[in-house]
Amino acid sequence: MKAVRDIGLLYQRYITQLLRNPVWLIVGFSTPILYLALFTPLLKHLPGTASQPGGNVLDLFLPGILSLLAFASGMGPGFSTIFELKAGVIERFRVTPVSRFAILTGPILATMVMMFVFDAAVVAVGAGFGFSVHWLGLAVLAVLLGLVMTIMAAFSIATALAAKEISGFAAIVNGINLPVLLLAGILLPISLGPLWMRVLAHFNPLYYLVQASRVLAGGTLTGAAVWQAFAVLAPLCAVVLAWATSVFRKAVA
Amino acid sequence: MNEAGFTAVLPGLFKNAYGAGKTTTLRILTTLLPMDSGTATVAGFDVTRQPNQVRSRIGYVSQLGGADELATGRENLLLQGRLYGASRAQAAPRADALAGLLDLAGFADRRVSTYSGGQRRRLDIALGIVHEPAVLFLDEPSTGLDPQSRANLWDHIRALRERGTTVFLTTHYLQEADVLCDRLMIMDGGQVVAEGTPRALKQQVAGDSILISLKQGDQGTGRAVPVLRQESYVRELTVEDGQVRLYVEDGGTALPQLIRLLDKAGVAVRSMSMSEPTLDDVFLRETGRSLRDAETPEAGPADRTGVAA
Repeated sequence: MKAVRDIGLLYQRYITQLLRNPVWLIVGFSTPILYLALFTPLLKHLPGTASQPGGNVLDLFLPGILSLLAFASGMGPGFSTIFELKAGVIERFRVTPVSRFAILTGPILATMVMMFVFDAAVVAVGAGFGFSVHWLGLAVLAVLLGLVMTIMAAFSIATALAAKEISGFAAIVNGINLPVLLLAGILLPISLGPLWMRVLAHFNPLYYLVQASRVLAGGTLTGAAVWQAFAVLAPLCAVVLAWATSVFRKAVA
Repeated sequence: MNEAGFTAVLPGLFKNAYGAGKTTTLRILTTLLPMDSGTATVAGFDVTRQPNQVRSRIGYVSQLGGADELATGRENLLLQGRLYGASRAQAAPRADALAGLLDLAGFADRRVSTYSGGQRRRLDIALGIVHEPAVLFLDEPSTGLDPQSRANLWDHIRALRERGTTVFLTTHYLQEADVLCDRLMIMDGGQVVAEGTPRALKQQVAGDSILISLKQGDQGTGRAVPVLRQESYVRELTVEDGQVRLYVEDGGTALPQLIRLLDKAGVAVRSMSMSEPTLDDVFLRETGRSLRDAETPEAGPADRTGVAA
């Protein structure tokens, strides 16, 4: 019970901070919309995508944007962790009797709620341009998006605590960004790649999300990609959270 | 440090410490860092085995502060109170009381990003005592403050102490240690090199020095010196330009005796001043270098840990 209360308090604190940062809000809303606006026209002429029967190119691309958003949103808490480490905030929380798990998950939960707000904006804009909305599929997809965001956030926070400096952390984030995104098939379908790439993609957790997201957004709830995504992402989420909590026990500036 | 609720046995603790080990010590006592070996008890609980009991009884203000800049002072105090278990209804009057106690009331509803250094530090301390801890740890509380804010901070620390809080602070300022602390520990290279009350530590050094300025200048010193040399409590005597400098064991007792003595000998005194040995003298004796040298990066920082109980 105490942990729930602690998570609530730290969730509230973090979301208040996010909402008081106008730059963050503007970028948070505009980035996914810009992706939709600037990338979709390019896809229209890609062989094998536009020709899908009765399909809008957004049906393929928008779930990828939501997956990308889950991946990118998870990096945010890592950056703020470094800032808070430098500002002494992390130490201030760690000398209180507050649950260590709450110090980790309060911000993750706040980031997740903000991500769902951005997701809703993307879906609303997409629907206006012909994306066909399947509510049930999107609801299940939201669970997967939450899982991936939590994995990325816990990973980024733990990495930030280890890196301690913004430069080192930014290098790590940039270093994993490109391979993880390309091997997930977010921007371009992985089926366009050679066999070795398609094999390698199976070691990328984000790949399962992207595969499932296209199935779910199409309204199919029972595809193999869906249960595979849950089977990979749910245990991974638990492992990463446990690891990040243990890193938090020893984090000092 | 028993009377304050501390005991610490920390052998080989500071093997990996960068500087003198003061921040490492604080982090261990405040449950932030694990111990390699040894035990530490704070406010009656074991730091390693009962960290949550320790946490609810201590306050800690790091050098970094740690208040939320995007929140107001009051919001910071309310959240901190609730993190220590207070309900919303309990936290509000406590925040008001702390704002009053630390002179924050005038700007408690402004965002922390607009605060001056002194205002911020007072908020940091308010955050550290929101749950009325038995022991408050302050890591270099006055670093970076202008002299006026520092004096103001000292008043607040003294007030806390009078209200019964044990204050455990670290500092680079000898004057601060001298003014605020009942007990003092000097650390160097991860080791405690001296411990005691500031007065006892200073008395171990050289005694007090007394400077006597004479009206008749060199002629006066010529007559005064033979008289002064006969006194057994005068350890050392130097003549400098119409002035005589003496080193005595206890200046307070020597001063009236010297006045009477010189008066009887017919030597006219212009002024007489006494200076006690400073903690800098203590530091010099214990570490072989003055604090100014010790603070240069090459030599590594050296620290004092004080307990104002």
